[in-house]
This record gives sequence, C-alpha cells and structure tokens, in this order.
Amino acid sequence: MDKLKEIINEILDNSERETIKNIRDDMSLTDDIGFDSLDLAELTVHVEKVFGIDIFEDGFVESIGDIRKKIGI
Amino acid sequence: MDKLFFYNQIDNENITYRDLIMILNGKADYHIGTSQTYGDIFINIIRTLLQGKPVTGVTDMILKIRRAKDWNINLYTSGTTGIPKKVTHSFDSLTREIKVSRDRAEDIWGLAYNPMHMAGLQVFFQALLNGNSIINLFKLSKKNIYKLIEQFNITHISATATFYRQLLPCNKIFPSIKQITFGGEKYSDKVSGEIKKIFPNARILNIYASTEAGSLFTSNGDIFWIKDRYIPFVRVVDNELLIHKDILGEFGLSGDWYHTGDMVEIININPLRFRFVARKNEIINVGGYNVSPHEVEEIISKYPKVKNVVVYGKPNSVLGNIICADIEAVASIGQKNIRLFLKDKLADYKIPRIINFVDKVEMTETGKVKRI
Repeated sequence: MDKLKEIINEILDNSERETIKNIRDDMSLTDDIGFDSLDLAELTVHVEKVFGIDIFEDGFVESIGDIRKKIGI
Repeated sequence: MDKLFFYNQIDNENITYRDLIMILNGKADYHIGTSQTYGDIFINIIRTLLQGKPVTGVTDMILKIRRAKDWNINLYTSGTTGIPKKVTHSFDSLTREIKVSRDRAEDIWGLAYNPMHMAGLQVFFQALLNGNSIINLFKLSKKNIYKLIEQFNITHISATATFYRQLLPCNKIFPSIKQITFGGEKYSDKVSGEIKKIFPNARILNIYASTEAGSLFTSNGDIFWIKDRYIPFVRVVDNELLIHKDILGEFGLSGDWYHTGDMVEIININPLRFRFVARKNEIINVGGYNVSPHEVEEIISKYPKVKNVVVYGKPNSVLGNIICADIEAVASIGQKNIRLFLKDKLADYKIPRIINFVDKVEMTETGKVKRI
C-alpha cells in the first residue's frame, strides 16, 4: 500500500500538485485524487514496473480498491 | 607535396592522388588487411567506374568517371525501423546534385557518414569529382574530430544533427570550416546555432536526401523549396511527400509515385514551400492526438545540461501509447524539473510521462538516433 501511495504521490508531485497523506480503498482515482487520462497512463506503467501487472489491461480501474484487487495487495 | 585523396586514422590509411592513380593503373597494390576498409570501398568504386581503363592523371580520371555508362550500385536503406530494402542507383541518379567547379578545387571534406550509405557516397563523389581530399571523421571521438579539422584544415562537413550534437559543447573556434551541412535527421535550430559559434565562417545548409531518391532539396534553414527541374516530380498528398519514379533509384516500386513516409507541413502552396515534421511511422498517437517525437526532442534539448535526447512511444493500455524520453545529460537533472520546463512549452499530451536518464542515447549504424 505504501508503495502504491508513493507512485501516486510521485505523479502528483511531478506536476507540482499537492500530494496525499493517506489512500483509502474507496478513493476515486479521478474524482478524489484528480488524475486525468495522462496520469492514469503513467500510473499503469509505474504500477506494472513494481507489481508486474498492467492494471488497465482489461478495463477501466476506478478506485484504489480496484487497483489493490488487481495487484493482490 | 602530393595532394591527399583519403585519410583514415582508424585503419591507418593515407592515400594521395598520386598513389590512387598508380593503384588504378596497376602500378601499385592496395590492400591493408583482411577486413574491408573505407579506402578499399572507395578504390573499388572508382575501379568499377573506370572499367579497367588506364588514366593519365587526376583530371583524366575525373573525366573518365563522369563518362561512366552502364554503371550502378546497390544500396540498402538503413531503416530506423523495418527491413532493409535494396535500391539500385545509376551514376547519374547518384551524382545528380554533385556540384563541380574550379572554385571547389581546394575544398577539404570531413566524411562523417558510413561510406557505403547514400549520404557517405554523396560526400565521396562531391569530393572526388572536384579532386578534393577526404578526411574520415566517422566513428571518431569528439577530441579526434577537432584534432583532424585543425590538422587538415577541413573546409566542409556534411553530417547528421546527432553528429554535430556530439561536438558540443566546445569553447574553441575553427575558422577553416566554410560549410556545414545537416542531413539524414530532422534539422535542429538549436544545434545549428551552437555549431555556428564553433565554425563562425561556415554557411549552414540543410539537405533532404534518401537512399531511394538520392539528394533532392537543400535549404538554409528548415523551410525547403523545390528546384524548377524537380517541380513535376514532387507532390504533397495528405501532408506526405511523394516523389515520382523518374527521379528515383530502382527498387521495384509499384505505381508512379513513391510515398516517402516523410510528413511535411506546407508553408506556401504556390510556389511550394514546406517543412519536414516527422517520419510517418514515427508519429505517436496518444489517445487520438498525434505527437511528433522531433518536436518534443527539440524542446527538451533546449533544457540546460541535456546533451542528447530520444523521444518515442510505448504501447499503453490507457492511451494507446505513452510518450517516453531517454535523456543523456552532462549533469544530474530531476525528472520533475524537465516536466516543469516543458509545461508551458508543449501541450500536456506531448510531454513525456516516462523519463529515463541514460548514459548514452543509442545510435543506428548511420549515426541517427535510434527510436525504440
């Protein structure tokens, strides 16, 4: 979970957006974290690098919980 | 002192025109080792052009070469992508844009291309048909290149933007250089500006040539126009440059028009003025938006400390492709700094989301940046 938060915060920080302190399963990637499609594209690359799974491969991922299910953490 | 024909530090080759005439007349041997050298390649080409005829001197040799009939050479497209393709050129199609005149007699050429590819052969024939000296600079280090420019008073260099980029930075000036030609890759204003400082007496040219067509257009910036004699043979359709088969080498083209895969931006329709944007297969589609890697590379290269950069697309499950950049920097730069630098210079979908800092950006055999 910490690693996932780290990835998300790095994406936010790279474009000088405010980072998040905690992530929760019910958080929406777009509405709560503020990711646009470019951010999601970047997210999937970093997540795949660390966890070996392309989270968007077979459909859209909405929330932190969805990611956790896909990568099994 | 006998005039130098070819100097190549790598294989210890130092051939004068006097040596060359003796070799061609069978009065001297030429072979250095078991592997083929650039000197071997050049001498073989001249031999086949002369078809065994003896020559009385340099002027006679040039005259006989220019009368060569039924001569052709097979070249292979280097292919930054795809499979190499065989293209057969005649002497005329290969030397169409070679300029011979008395005031070119003392030019000294730096060879910065593989001699068996189109661009290297253009340099070879330009020098040979004017009786000039050729100094090999291809595959040499920055230090050696500058050393040879000074030692031989090189006046002309034709090379890729990547080659010139490797000569930067440099605090010295080299006044002997009269002409710098960019070719083979998209022209870069930034590199050209920096190069002009090192070679203050140089006229800067930009040339469009391909293995299929040979040398076709030149320009003194990034906007090209078409010489009158080529107007009927050049077209732009859907922003792609098309060339008629009558001015191409032979490679089994079906139809009359060859689709170059070079995408252009039209600046003026009549007379036609255009700028090269990218290779068709280099355009990256990011969620429906087209991105030219060259545009992104040009802007990243303006960031201080960036020495070389290559931009490419990687398949991505969210957007189809994601823009990536491999950056070779002279000192450490943060990924965030690059992104912030690009923020107000490029649309957001053009900004690389994956940035890797690498020791060296990889090159192809012809000295072009290798896209992954």
